[in-house]
Parts: sequence; C-alpha cells; structure tokens
Amino acid sequence: MRRALLLMLLVAGGCKKSSDAKDAAPKPALTVGLVTDIGGRGDQSFNDSALRGLEVWAASASFKGGRYEAMAPATREAMIPAALKARVTPVSLKPLVVQSKVQEDYQPNLQLVVDQGADLIVGVGFALENAVEAVAKQNAGAKFLLIDSPILDAKGAPQTLPNVRTVVFREQEGSFLAGALAGLVAKQKVGFVGGMEIPLIKKFEAGFRAGVKTTNPGAQVLVQYTGTFDNVQHGKQVATDLVAKGCEVVFHAAGSDGTGVIQAVKEARAAGKPVFAIGVDSDQSHLAPEAVLTSMVKRVDLAVWQAIKDLEGKAFSAGDSVMGLKEGGVTLAEVTLDFPGKAEALAKVKALETAIISGAVVVPSNEKDLEGFVAPAN
Amino acid sequence: MLLALLSSVLDAAPAVVFAAVGATLSERAGVVNVGVEGMMRAGAFGAAAAALVMPTPLGVLVGVAAGALVAALHAWLCIQGRSDQVVSGMAINLVMLAFGQFLLEAAFSSPAGTPAITQLPKWFGHSPLTWLAIVLPFVVHLAVTRTPWGLRLRAVGEKPQAVAAMGVRVTRLRFGAVVLSGAFAGLGGAQLSTAVLDHFESHMPSGLGFMAVAAMVFGRWTPLGAAGAALFFAFGDALRISLASSAPGLLEVVPQGVLLALPYALTLLVLSLQRRGAARAPAALGQPYDPELR
Repeated sequence: MRRALLLMLLVAGGCKKSSDAKDAAPKPALTVGLVTDIGGRGDQSFNDSALRGLEVWAASASFKGGRYEAMAPATREAMIPAALKARVTPVSLKPLVVQSKVQEDYQPNLQLVVDQGADLIVGVGFALENAVEAVAKQNAGAKFLLIDSPILDAKGAPQTLPNVRTVVFREQEGSFLAGALAGLVAKQKVGFVGGMEIPLIKKFEAGFRAGVKTTNPGAQVLVQYTGTFDNVQHGKQVATDLVAKGCEVVFHAAGSDGTGVIQAVKEARAAGKPVFAIGVDSDQSHLAPEAVLTSMVKRVDLAVWQAIKDLEGKAFSAGDSVMGLKEGGVTLAEVTLDFPGKAEALAKVKALETAIISGAVVVPSNEKDLEGFVAPAN
Repeated sequence: MLLALLSSVLDAAPAVVFAAVGATLSERAGVVNVGVEGMMRAGAFGAAAAALVMPTPLGVLVGVAAGALVAALHAWLCIQGRSDQVVSGMAINLVMLAFGQFLLEAAFSSPAGTPAITQLPKWFGHSPLTWLAIVLPFVVHLAVTRTPWGLRLRAVGEKPQAVAAMGVRVTRLRFGAVVLSGAFAGLGGAQLSTAVLDHFESHMPSGLGFMAVAAMVFGRWTPLGAAGAALFFAFGDALRISLASSAPGLLEVVPQGVLLALPYALTLLVLSLQRRGAARAPAALGQPYDPELR
C-alpha cells in the first residue's frame, strides 16, 4: 500500500512538473502536505473541508483526474463564503495530498509527506492524533497541524509538542445558534439525534439544549442517541420516531446516521407534516433542499488556510487553539427556506451570536454546565 | 404509541427478513453463508445505480440480480472449488466493501453515495417491499416443507450422498440454493437503498447482513423462524427508540447505554428460554460435497 501511494505521488509530481514548465509559473515557495483520515476525498464533510482550505483557498488549484490545474480567480471566489472573501487570500504553494484507506496508513502516510520535504503537514481528524504525535516526535524539524483533537499523553491528558499546532472547535456555540433557531421555528417540541454518546457529541447536545432554552423556554427537547455513526437505517428510525412524537425541528450530530435523519424529515414533509431538519459539519441542504433548515458548519477549511497563511508569514506557532464563533470556526449555514417570522428569528439569532462573541453569553459544553446555564434575557 | 411501534418495525425489519430467509435456503442446502453482508451491499448498490437510468422497481430487480451474481461467486468457490465456506463468505464481505467504494468513486466520483433516485412508492404507508417481506417467509416455508424441491433441499444439507444415490444432482441443487439466497439478500439490500433511503449510502448495509445470519441461527434454520427472529430484533430496536423518546425522564434514571443494549438483552433472554436440543444445524453444513465419500 505504501509503495503504491509513493508511486502515485511520483506520478502526480511528474505531472505537476510538466504543467509548471508549460505555464512558466514561479516555483512555489512552500509545500504543504495533507493526510486525510479514512473518510478521504469526497466525504462532503470534514476531509473535503480541509482539502478546500488547502487546495482552493490557499493554492487556488483544482484537483482533476489525478493532477492539479490552476483555478480561475472567479471560481475560487465562489467557493469562499461571503464573510471571508476579503480575508482569505491565496498562498503560493504546492499541495501534497495523501489519502488514508485504513487506520494503519496514518503514520506511514504522515512520514511519507515529511520525507517529501513538506513545510507543513496537516492531519485531518482526531483519528490521526496518535500518528501525528509519533511522527512529530520523530521529525522535530517538521511542522504539523492536527485538526479536531489536542495531542494527548498516555493518560489522556492534553500535552503540547513544540512543532504541532492543534485546532479544536467550540461546537457547542454553533449548536447553540442551531438550538436558538429551532426554538424560534418550533412551538412545543424539538429533537436532537446524536451518534455515539461521547463527550464530543455531548458538546453538540448541551449547546443545542441551551439554545432552545434561550429562545423557547417552554419547549421540550427530546434527545436520542443511535449508538452508531454509519447506520442510516438507525438514524431514520430514530428520527421517524421523534417526528411521530411531535418534534417540529430535528438537529443531528450523528455522522452518516444523519443521512437517515434527513431522509425521515424529508418523507414526513412529503406526507404533509411541517417539520425541519438541521444538518451538521458542512451545509447539508443539498440532501433535501426543502427540509434542511440550516446546518451547523465547522470551518475546517478556515483552520487549514489560517495555518498555511501563518506559515507563509513566518508566524506559525505551535500549541493548542480553539475556534468558536468569534474565530469563525463554527457557524450556521445560510437559511434559504422560508418560514413564518423568518426575519425576526434570524435577527434574534444574530443578536445571540453577537452576545456569544462578546462573551456576554457563555455556552455550556457538557451536561453539568447545562444545568447551571441561565438563559440570557431577550 | 403501539401503532408507531408497529410502523417502526415494519419500516426497519424487511431488509433483515429477506436476507435471513435467504440465508436459511443456502444453509439448509449445506452451504454456510456468512457473505450475506456483501450480497446485501451488492443489492443495495445495484438497485440504486440501476434506478438512476430506469424505473425504481426495475432497479430493485437489478439489485436482486446483483446479489445473486455475488452469491454465484460464493457458490462457485464453495461447491466447485470446495474452498472453506466461512473464509469465502468473509472474503466476499471484504471484497464487496472495497468494490462498492471503488465503484462509487469511479462511477459517481463521490465516496459518500450515489445521486438521489425516485424512492419506491408507498402502499398503505409502507413500501411494497414491506408487504412482500410479510408474505415471502410463508411462501418460502411452503416451498421448503411442502414441495419435492424443498424435500431435496433439506436432504442435501443432511446427507448429500443419499440424495445423490436417488439420482439428484447435489452440486446443481446447492448452487441454485446459494444463488437464490443471494437474490434474497440482494432484495434486502435493495430495500435499504430504494425504500429506507432514496440513494445508496457508502456504509450500507452496516452490519445488517450479520444480523440476518444471527436471525437465521436464532430462528433455527427455518424460514418462518428466521423471519420471526428478524422481526424480533427490529421490535427490540423500535422499543428501545420509542422508550427513550416517550419517557424522557427515564433517561435520567437509566443510562442511554442500557437502552442501547436492550435489543441484545431481549435476544439473550429469549435464547435462554428456548427448548434445548431443538436448535440443530443441518448435518452436512459447511462440508463440501465429495461424491467419492459414502
């Protein structure tokens, strides 16, 4: 597997060289490597977002048929959200992407990219935490970016390495806004579907419940965990049940189970029930444009681009960083659907967002903090 | 409440019912079939991919054919090649897992799933396949217990040499049973991609094939038993889901994990209540047919 990947890289490298010669473009100053987790290119979620940050936002290149082509500035602009257009500038670099097919690939793939002389190596997803730790310790001269997890020591306590930057997200803040919007849209009941009941997903739940409590204190929140992240049938069964119990908005943080959640809501709508779904990680409205109200988006692309920009400006620093609403790390996708009182609802959500950014509202990230959470006065 | 529970079971059970009933056919003929998962995956992908270019009901038939085709490979390996049947089944699962992903990326350049298709229509609130899943186990039961073919099928799984002595071609009968079993698994997979969702999702069937094999054993290698067991599993799941949402206060007393374990706990309970000795696998199960043996 390793040899095959190396071969692919060499071929890709060869193509790159010839197209460089043709364009007579200046040789990029930087090489940035990226190792995906097993989700890989095209997962429409985490990995794609990271790849967008590297290939489109920074390198302004498109990956077609195994090679990179220069991207027209207008195309690139269209793939950056309006609020970030001015900030996100291109960086002259050569991307070096290696996809992982199984967990055992992570470490060799990272080492491979280091050996290719990459100036920065991005590890996408908490699954790469061990591999990044090991490779970073062996290659003290290389710089790393790890997405979605701090580096943990053997006892599970966070530690820092001098050449690794880690980024985690305050998912609870985006989920809070999702909950606030759900509370405004729904009258009596909203639902939450989680995947496995782990602390990461609990952050989504706590934020969501706090948001509902803020805008609609009387509403009941029904919480369900599917116990999996890859079983669409479970997701659909759970969501169908929640809709049957009268939930008017269902938010999911359940990975692929969520496809089933959105399907259930879509079918309920087709049967005449006024119910909405809220997606997660990336804008999921393409799955069911008439049923997905909004999505809680994690801006992995921004985190990747920011690290590359820092590297270019010689300002790359190791250590742990956290991206919330303030840093633009989480956000709600644009609400394109119409519902009664939409303008006021969006204004209210916007006001809450401002309050969180200013620090006036602190969103709970676990059950214990949620109990002590006092909803801000409207 | 009870109606919602029933409706949930009717939506969730068919895929496992089809696959479990199919698995009984293969195993009653003496061929172990743990490749159900891979055959379901083939059916789910085939149905969704075909439904992009033809009406969805025809797409379901393509899914059935895809399951049968994969089963034919299993049959060829086990019957002609006399290879280890468990190994062959597991190999099929692994190959289909990777092959499905490859096809997704090659044909649709999207590892997440195929584009959306037209979902099967709903008859009385459920897909036609749900109603078929209620009728089919009885049909298969009658075929296995009341027809000459069924008698030969059962005999070939117990004492193939005796059947051969009566002038029946053992390999052909077994081959047909395995292919039919794959067709059923394919139908189950097709139900996932055309009735549960409206496209093929890259993780399908995420373990339902193994549930089907478990249902078959739980149902003592009989079509009705297997279907009953599949319904029972679905009921346990639906009960767990319904409990969590209709009594939110319950979650404060009982951890969610206990509820998640409920379907499995119920299964253990029923297994412990079953009469001993009655559950017996076909005698020739897993043994390649060797005409030289007597």
